[in-house]
Amino acid sequence: MTQILVRYCTLFILTLLVLAIISFSLAYLFPGDVLENLTGLVPQNEIQRAALEKQFKLDQSYVHQFFYYVSNLLTGDWGYSFTSGLPLRDEVGIAMPATIELATYAMLMALFIGIPMGYYAGIRCYSTSDYLINSASITIYSFPVFWFALLLILVFSLQMDVAPLSGRISLLYNIEPVSGFILLDILFADIENKSLALKDALSHLALPTFAIGAIATASMARITRRSVIDVRHRPYIAAAISRGLSSWQIFFRHILRNALLPILPLMAIQITTLITNAMIVETLFSWPGIGNWLIQAIYQRDYPALRIGMMAVSTLVITLTILVDLFNRVIDPSREKYERAAV
Amino acid sequence: MSYGLVKRLSLYLCTALVVASCAKQNKQAFYNTGIIYCSESNPVTFNPQLDTSSTTSDASSHQLYDRLLDFDPETGRIVPSLASSWLVTNDGLTYAFQLRKDVWFHSTDYFTPTRNFNADDVLFSIDRWRLTSHPYHYISGGRYPYFESIGLAQNIESVERVNGYRVEITLKRRDSSFLANLATDFAVILSEEYASQLSQAGSPSKIDELPVGTGPFKFESYRKDHFIKYRRHEDYWRLSLSSEDSENASEQTNTEITKEPENASTPASSSFQSNGGEYSAVEQLIFDITPRSSLRLAKLMTGECDATAFPAQTELEVIRAKEDLILAEKPGLNIGFWAFNTQRPPFNNPDVRRALAAAIDKNTLLEAVYFDSAIRAKTLLPAASWAFQNDADDTAYNPVLARKLLADAGIEPGFSMTIWAMPVERAYNPNATKMAELIQRYLRDVGVEATIVSYDWATFRRHLREGLHDSVLIGWSADNGDPDNFYRPLLSCGAIPSGTNRAMWCNPDYDKLINDALKTDDIEARKAIYRQVNRLLYERLPLVPIAHAYRYQAYRSELEGLTINPFGGVRFGGVEKTL
Amino acid sequence: MLALFVVFALFAPVITPYDALEQNIDGLLIPPSWMANGSISYLFGTDALGRDLFTRIIYGCRVTLGSAFITVVLAMLMGVSLGAFAGMLRGVRSSVANHLLDALMAIPTLLIAIIIVAILGTGLVNSMWAITLALIPQFVHHTRSFVRAEMKKEYIIASKLDGASKWQLFVHSILPNMTEMLVVQGTLALSIAVIDISALGFLNLGAQSPLPELGVILADGLDVTYLAPWNVAVPGMAIFFMVLSINIVGDGLRSALRKRVSH
Repeated sequence: MTQILVRYCTLFILTLLVLAIISFSLAYLFPGDVLENLTGLVPQNEIQRAALEKQFKLDQSYVHQFFYYVSNLLTGDWGYSFTSGLPLRDEVGIAMPATIELATYAMLMALFIGIPMGYYAGIRCYSTSDYLINSASITIYSFPVFWFALLLILVFSLQMDVAPLSGRISLLYNIEPVSGFILLDILFADIENKSLALKDALSHLALPTFAIGAIATASMARITRRSVIDVRHRPYIAAAISRGLSSWQIFFRHILRNALLPILPLMAIQITTLITNAMIVETLFSWPGIGNWLIQAIYQRDYPALRIGMMAVSTLVITLTILVDLFNRVIDPSREKYERAAV
Repeated sequence: MSYGLVKRLSLYLCTALVVASCAKQNKQAFYNTGIIYCSESNPVTFNPQLDTSSTTSDASSHQLYDRLLDFDPETGRIVPSLASSWLVTNDGLTYAFQLRKDVWFHSTDYFTPTRNFNADDVLFSIDRWRLTSHPYHYISGGRYPYFESIGLAQNIESVERVNGYRVEITLKRRDSSFLANLATDFAVILSEEYASQLSQAGSPSKIDELPVGTGPFKFESYRKDHFIKYRRHEDYWRLSLSSEDSENASEQTNTEITKEPENASTPASSSFQSNGGEYSAVEQLIFDITPRSSLRLAKLMTGECDATAFPAQTELEVIRAKEDLILAEKPGLNIGFWAFNTQRPPFNNPDVRRALAAAIDKNTLLEAVYFDSAIRAKTLLPAASWAFQNDADDTAYNPVLARKLLADAGIEPGFSMTIWAMPVERAYNPNATKMAELIQRYLRDVGVEATIVSYDWATFRRHLREGLHDSVLIGWSADNGDPDNFYRPLLSCGAIPSGTNRAMWCNPDYDKLINDALKTDDIEARKAIYRQVNRLLYERLPLVPIAHAYRYQAYRSELEGLTINPFGGVRFGGVEKTL
Repeated sequence: MLALFVVFALFAPVITPYDALEQNIDGLLIPPSWMANGSISYLFGTDALGRDLFTRIIYGCRVTLGSAFITVVLAMLMGVSLGAFAGMLRGVRSSVANHLLDALMAIPTLLIAIIIVAILGTGLVNSMWAITLALIPQFVHHTRSFVRAEMKKEYIIASKLDGASKWQLFVHSILPNMTEMLVVQGTLALSIAVIDISALGFLNLGAQSPLPELGVILADGLDVTYLAPWNVAVPGMAIFFMVLSINIVGDGLRSALRKRVSH
């Protein structure tokens, strides 16, 4: 057990190191002068340039600079954004939880709706209900997420006026970002009409979550269905049937767990897709998350923000996938190789 | 079930319904305490003296500050604001302003006023841009583009404090547009007490970042690219203004004004009076910064914004069709034009400019970009101005002539030039990029290759001021009703350093003419001079006037009291939100 | 249906009635032919600059599908080579490299695209590079596991005993068996690539206006959504149907494969 943990820890650190090297070298890869890219200041003359280089350690060797960079990252000095001038730590600190919140709710939706539907379809495989569910899920899965979100906006926001289309909560509310999760922060805040604020936040959450969640649900359903079908055709199920077990018993004792196991590794890729979709959808809904922030940063060529943003998102994704992998290993040590692709 | 149980259940049901409906009332009531305005961009600063962009004026001028004088948006007359009355000497050189008492500055978490508004504040506000020796002159950059472009600082002899509530301004030369200039968005009154407090604390530039004024709203917070939040100013002076006061005030403006459009007995019918001097219960004003106009419209439709800036031309029909949205429209005092950088060859050759002007078909531009919500412009002045000349000369679409003139001037086919297109929408040009693409096509027909250049708005204007452009699609919205407000900031020599003269054009004959026009108060005489000016501009063509656009304001029907201000930025003081 | 799209892609210049980039000033925002004001000469109507939408969509299919295809092929080539190489390695190095690659596989496509755009600038080609980079790890992973599994099989050991070198092993024995897996992975990657290319075009990080790419056409149409909703509906439907057809074909292939394997 500890051996596995140690192995994963080293993997984690190694990956982060590689990411740090990549994000460090970005400063040199971005077009333009390195000094300007890092600091945003244009040195007027040679003296200023030399002084700035000294200050930002650009006159030292690459290795030295790299260590300086990593130590800054670890202590929390992430630099400043070009466009807003605010410390990047604050900006990412606000933007990241917004995306995590959105992705979490969408993931929950996918888990609690997608998996049962997949089971249902798998059990009744090749029947009409299976056919329906399968077609529905492949259809939804094929939607480009930005178009799906656009359609949702057109229908629900503009035609039916049921849900708002921008932001996390109406600007009239002043909610202090304590945890970064809007629903929690409302509970912490000291305003009079908390229930009103909660309703407002939930209505703002509705469409983006649905847009991302529907696609994730469809994908989850397909994976689950495939897994259930695979399990159903295993010999031990046939053996169980011939032994006379009822379908309920077969389901609970054999199918449930055995079908679930192969799905877990595939969740890793699901998370990646979920976060990518979240980032795209955020721009359509003006959701103040890390995706929207990164895309604004690239439009304005805000290089420090891009570096840190890339580092932050990659770290998040890698952490999640490694955790999922660890979880799999712990639960099912018999798997030596695991599939990572979606079905 | 027993009768008692049924009774209890129905009681609960009734209570639940009542509570639910109360909650709904509550919901409405809460949402009526705030107005959200979808604005199109970030303000550069919160002091409109420092900038001429309408985004900055919209965010600050009428929300945070007041001026000595104001324009009545309906009639265009100059009406009292912080100056309750004024007198002018017969020679037109000395103006004495009587200041209003009991006007309080904002009380925020960064400043608490200990005294009310008085002459010291007026002196501070004017001297800041007038005197280069003033300690605050160079704070936040030291550029006061509007005042520089009209050369007002050079024309003021002195500004004197007669007593706590009386200020006298003496000019060197007669200037019939002086009062109009004091009523523009840029001539705001700052707090001298706040300024001295800040300079003692060592952070004077905060005066433009954390502003303090006398306006209907006080500054609360600003997050770039996201929002600006304002709160109601409870001690706003207009709240305690009764209609009687304002009648007295407007009568006094009649005394000894040599040239003033006839001021009838009607008091200033500003939007403040329309609800009987009562002020709105609006607690919060929020600017939701949304650069894309289709998103602004969407937010307007869902109710996430109560009013929006600069609806795109394509959206106007949609707004008109919806019942809960109102589209107010007024002929605008503005001009959209194509200016050439006359300091850069070959654009210093008027024949080249004439050729390029003949190469484009203005009617097509009007149709494709303005969608019939604009009028073709022959000169700088729109029909709404009293100096409008209907029979002025205009360039016509003539590609043959264009090619000939280009060839005569020695321009080879394949000559390349840049067209700078502004990235933001304005009333005078709702889609500069599209116009640039269309012009590009026309120019290609006459053998000129045009490249379209654009940057983010702040960088764009900075580069324009540095003169990096060959030509630019931009425009001007009037700040006051005086024709000088078009001619001087756009094309006079003095306006080049301030950046408002996009054509970088300097012609001494032109300057002489427009200066002459200010020396007299006789309207007909001024009109005649402006005819000559128009003729000169037609012959030299530093810029090609394209369109005068209508101004639109789109808002939800729940808002009352929002009017289009032809002379300046949007005003939210006095706007109320009803069910 | 997929065949229809392929036909579009290949024969676009021949079947379209208009030039995709030509602006027709007189015909702005004409509704599509099945609506009241539309005309048959503009089948899908026109966009805000007067360009015929039908033409643009057909060219757009070509651009989107074509570039997605190229992306997938490139990724497949690079990924398979890397994967084969990794699969034949042994020892700690291979394990480390494998795990690293797996971890890097998790980085979202959009992020990679953003970084590449930041370094190289916007444009269709750069977005293609980004998506290629994002798709490679998948191919590597599958190739590697496939190769490793195959290496244990008897026929490989037999060939090795016969004296075949690694290269010969790979080309002659493993590769033919791998084609089916590659096709399946390829279709999967193709659908991802189509969505990603159009997403990047939509966000203005990939193909730029006025290049007719389906995502770009969609983004252009956003500004006139209320006046002319077909500008948004039609490109979206095109992308949707394209991806749907790819997915259905892919599913079919996978089921066929599975049936073959299990028998």
